[in-house]
Order: sequence, then structure tokens, then C-alpha cells
Amino acid sequence: MNQEAFRLSPRKRWVVYAMSALIALALGAYAFRLLPEPAPGSRDSGPLLAVSLPDADGHPQSLAQWRGRLLVVNFWATWCAPCREEMPMFVRAQTAHGAKGLQFVGIAVDDAVKVRQFAKEIGLNYPALIGGYGAMELSKTLGNSVMALPFTIVIGPKGDVVLTQLGPVREAQLERLVADFL
Amino acid sequence: MPKPAPVERLLHGGRRARASVACALALVGIALLVLEMGPARAQVKLLPTEEAFRFSARALDARTVEASFAVADGYYLYRDKLRFSAATPAVTVGTFELPAGKVKEDQFFGKVETYRDRLVVRLPLENAAAGQAVTVRADSQGCADVGVCYPPNTQSVTVTVPQPGAPSGPLIDANPPKKRWFN
Repeated sequence: MNQEAFRLSPRKRWVVYAMSALIALALGAYAFRLLPEPAPGSRDSGPLLAVSLPDADGHPQSLAQWRGRLLVVNFWATWCAPCREEMPMFVRAQTAHGAKGLQFVGIAVDDAVKVRQFAKEIGLNYPALIGGYGAMELSKTLGNSVMALPFTIVIGPKGDVVLTQLGPVREAQLERLVADFL
Repeated sequence: MPKPAPVERLLHGGRRARASVACALALVGIALLVLEMGPARAQVKLLPTEEAFRFSARALDARTVEASFAVADGYYLYRDKLRFSAATPAVTVGTFELPAGKVKEDQFFGKVETYRDRLVVRLPLENAAAGQAVTVRADSQGCADVGVCYPPNTQSVTVTVPQPGAPSGPLIDANPPKKRWFN
């Protein structure tokens, strides 16, 4: 066997190094595409738990009061059909898993009158806080970069953000979170 | 004789060297392509509202502005949430007719009409003078088929009213598209 073939001159060696680096870059890029979309928001729930907003009756409610629970914070509005669509499922989950430590909190990009009416319509069994348009800006700071609804952030019992999601939450996703954290 | 620099050697070197350069460039290209538009992402990338619903307008003459929305594929606007107005003092938008939308039976809102693709509306301008810059405001609200909705949004375009007999003004985008490498 010809040993010479494996002994590269220094000038050829850097070509091999550069090629290897580029192949690695291409593979890395491909692997990056295959990874699930990273949660766009921060893992730190501090800024969200520091929020205090009035509920539908005008009483201020701090999100910190639900620290230690599996807290599902859902940004929604009455003018948002996909939001209205997913909420009855939240109501059912609150009933089923509330005693175990699941807590939903809605933050409405809306006014109190419309929120009260809709809450009555679907028998809302968890707090609906009134955020107005400011809640949209708040959600942006939490990872909702395109500012659309519904937008949901789930905080685990240990206080870390375990899900940040734009678009409806699926029932299976919710069941998974309950199984993992409660 | 001084040794040529590696790059120079590659560019003016033999066939193997040039082939290496070509391969390397091809790989960089593949890497960029994969990064920019790989189809593997599970979550749909949503557009910001001004990109999903692009508002533009042009002055046809001293009494008419043509307002249009280019709605991105997979998005729609609600007909009953659409408003056009003039944001220039003394100038007003008269009564206009919105084209019929696509009727959709919504489980919450009942019968609603929506617009997809492209919407063009002729707005009658009142009290606008030739040569005047007039700002036209569009309030809209829409959603994406993937199951998200955007809050009510306002976009504005300033058009210059043409002189009598002059051709209509250019189409002006409220938010000109950003330049991107791909898509």
C-alpha cells in the first residue's frame, strides 16, 4: 500500500481541515433544523409572576399567589375565535386537575364587560384577569414576538417556564404536563 | 521564489484545488439553504400582522384613492372589522362599498365574511386638493388558519393627490417588504 497517499503536505492539510469544518457546519445546520422550535421566551418565570392585574370584578390579583402550582397563563380575547375554542377544554382540565395543583389563569386582551359576559357563557371556573391591549405588549416581552393569540405560558411547580406556545394548546399536551409535573 | 498564498494557490492551482473550492462553496450554500428554509420545523412560523396583511394605496385622482390589502396565504381578514378613514385634517373618506367576502359559518360569531389573497376598495376622497399629501388609515383585524388571531391593527399610507388629468399616483406600501436572502 502506498503510504504517501496518507501523508498530506501542509498546504493540502488546511484544505482538508476547511472541508471538514464545512461538512460539520452543514450537518450542524441540518441538525439544528430538526430540533423542535426552542421556547421563544425566557425560562425565568420571575417577570410573569411579578405581574398584577385586575380580575373581571376589578380586584387586583398578583400571579405570585399561584406560585408552586402548575400554572397555565393563557393570553386570550373574546374577539379571538381560536381562543374561545380552546377555553372549554381548560375549564374541564381545571375541574379535573385543580385539586392536584393545576391552576389556569386567563389574561384577556379585552375589556371587563366582554370578559364577564363570555366567562358566564362558558362557565369559566378560573380567574380571568383584564389586561387590555397592554397585555399584548406584556406577552411580547414573554416571547410572543408576532403578538397573536392565543398565547400560553406554563410555569412548573418549581417556578421554571415549562412551555411557551403561540396557538392553541392541545389536550394531549396538557395531559402530558399534568402527568409530568403533578 | 516565494510561496504563493494558499488562496492564490487554490484559485490558480490545479484541477483538484479548484474542485475543492467548488465543493466548499457548495457546502456553504447547502448549510445556508438548510438554515434558512428547512421544512423540518414542526411549528409554523407566523408572520407579524403587517406582513400577513399588507396595506397599500394609490391616488387615482383628486377624488379617489384605491386602497388594497394583500393577504398572505393561510391568513384572512374579517370584513366587518375593516375601516378606512383619512388622517389628514379636513379631508374625509366618503361612503364606500366593500366587496362581498367569503362567507364562513363561525361557531362563535355566526355568519362572518372574510377576505383572502387580495382586497381592493375604491375610497371617495372629500375635500382633497390636487398635489396634497393625504394619509389614508386602514383598521383591520384578521387571523391565520393555523389557529391564531391578531389584535385590531392600524396601518397608514400617505399618497399625493395627482393634478387634474395627470396619471394616477404610484402604489405605496404601508410597510415595504423587508429584503431577505430567501423566501
